[in-house]
Amino acid sequence: MAGSAHYREAHPLVFVITHWINLICMIMLAFSGFYIHYPFFDGFMGVARGMHFVAMYVILINLTFRIIAAFFVKTAVDLGSREVDTDIKNWLPQEKNRHQFFETVKYYLFLRKEAVISAKYGSLQKIAYLATVPLTYLMAYTGFAIYGPTMNWGFFAGGVDMVGGPMNMRIIHYFMMWVFIVFTMIHAYLANVYNFSPSKIIFAWKETEH
Amino acid sequence: MAQEAHGAIYDLLAVRGVSRRDFLKYCSYVAAMLGLSEAAAPQIAAAVEKGAKLKPALWINGGSCTGCTESMAQVDSPDVATVVLEILSINAFETIMAAAGHDAEKNIADTVAAGGYLLIYEGSVMTGEDGNTLLVNGHKGTDILEEVAAGADAILAVGACAVDGGWVYAHPNPAKAIGVQSFLDTVNIKTPVVNLPCCPTSPEWIVAMVVQWLLVAEDDPATFLAKTKLRTRTYRDTVTGRDVTLNYPEYVIGSTIHDNCPRRGHFENGHFVTEFGSEEEAKGYCLYKVGCKGPQTFTQCPITRWNRSVSWCVQSGAPCIGCGGLNWVDNNTPFFKRLSSMQMGDTLGNVQPGSVAAVVGGVAAAALVAHGLGMKAAGRIGPDGPPVETAKAYDRKRMAKKGGDK
Ligand code: SF4
Ligand code: SF4
Repeated sequence: MAGSAHYREAHPLVFVITHWINLICMIMLAFSGFYIHYPFFDGFMGVARGMHFVAMYVILINLTFRIIAAFFVKTAVDLGSREVDTDIKNWLPQEKNRHQFFETVKYYLFLRKEAVISAKYGSLQKIAYLATVPLTYLMAYTGFAIYGPTMNWGFFAGGVDMVGGPMNMRIIHYFMMWVFIVFTMIHAYLANVYNFSPSKIIFAWKETEH
Repeated sequence: MAQEAHGAIYDLLAVRGVSRRDFLKYCSYVAAMLGLSEAAAPQIAAAVEKGAKLKPALWINGGSCTGCTESMAQVDSPDVATVVLEILSINAFETIMAAAGHDAEKNIADTVAAGGYLLIYEGSVMTGEDGNTLLVNGHKGTDILEEVAAGADAILAVGACAVDGGWVYAHPNPAKAIGVQSFLDTVNIKTPVVNLPCCPTSPEWIVAMVVQWLLVAEDDPATFLAKTKLRTRTYRDTVTGRDVTLNYPEYVIGSTIHDNCPRRGHFENGHFVTEFGSEEEAKGYCLYKVGCKGPQTFTQCPITRWNRSVSWCVQSGAPCIGCGGLNWVDNNTPFFKRLSSMQMGDTLGNVQPGSVAAVVGGVAAAALVAHGLGMKAAGRIGPDGPPVETAKAYDRKRMAKKGGDK
């Protein structure tokens, strides 16, 4: 947020890297996914599918690593602070986030003037960042359910039956991509709405004083 | 139907112009479908030979277009498949039998009374208006099915309609058509059912299952399901509101059309037909972009093929329309679009998922731009940012209540 410094403690190098991997994989997945959905130029299907599967495995490994790392890596406890604590504590809701959800919503809807007190991340941010974890795994599930090598596994075939067939699963997979696209839009917007310091630290690992 | 005594099968075949060698070749082909080794071919030949005139069968039509009968009958050029079916003692086959009226009904009643028969059921079960949506000579179709199903050793539900109601089941389904298994579940009849998908179904699959039944029926018809390589799929029947589990031969639904398609190479290479009548179409490119549902359809069409294995949908130039799937019409229309449309009620009609997504994405982008302008207008975007509260609203309120000051 404007006004607070952005130090490396907020995003240690390992998370700068996992964030980069996420971003690259997401772009590759969305692009190749769009292509597989409807090939808008010729000659790329084999590459698109290969890209989709590689990026899918990488992002799943990356996400799993990121979750495990949250229990070992220390990150800053607050905006503009160099004081650190185990990352998972800063990722999960904290005392500072209590009772702040509706206030945060009100702030963003211009129903209140002052910004709200928050921890390193605000209530909305935490909900979004936590939701991406099950969402990514669910996305992978819907993908595996329509992926040749795995679609006949009982675990996936059962899900296909539950949603009423492979076509519906495909449509769910397609819509879930839009959930990620909209998430990314909102995420990029809110992170950088005051200034680009958050981007500087997360992409270039460059500290700023405001 | 042929009336020769059993054992005379090779004469019968000879009359039809089918050599013994052709017949054995066909038997090994059937063996492959049943998941048996080629070594089982003589055993199959023997079962077919012995089964002739011994095992009675009924072919009953429900709410159907008799397309499966058409697919099956091929009376003007009989081949091994029709001969195999002819040697079954089919006591009633509404569309093509000579008997009619009272005689036909008596044939059915006699067969049911004697028991130990195979029921081949074509068409949907129309349950609407308390079963009055399908009446045969004053009898409800549902009553007829109940009667013939309860006494049967096994049932082959042939064609998409018999599987889950097929196109008759498609929205809005005023006849309340359902599949055989779903209906039997509601009336608690436990006769084993094997489903053969597609609209129409493939004669070869019927023959394979008839042969399988002949093979097991010799010892114990009750083991029909246990001895057949099956795969199950479950769906929620929107008419009965129940979950229905269907048995299919594994051979038939084991893999997708896409995985066995001869155009798959073009698919991977990214060579697509975008328009019918184009140069790409003449080159035999992949039909994915003109709505091919091969990737979502689990049937063996590219391998079994149709019309005596001459060709099949994609080979003949048409995208697969997914008739081998469940609820296949609703799930695959429009046939020439990549994804099916979503039925969004009367006002919105049928909408393509892509249009919905574009609206959602567009609204989100517009909202963010508007929000950004709002943030700027509210003066929140400056070097210092917006003012931050000194205490949480919740705490302030609570303090105010406790302390009494406003
Ligand atoms: S024509 Fe259909 S089934 Fe064949 S490769 Fe193309 S999409 Fe797949
Ligand atoms: S290829 Fe597709 S449309 Fe053709 S019969 Fe098979 S499932 Fe039906």
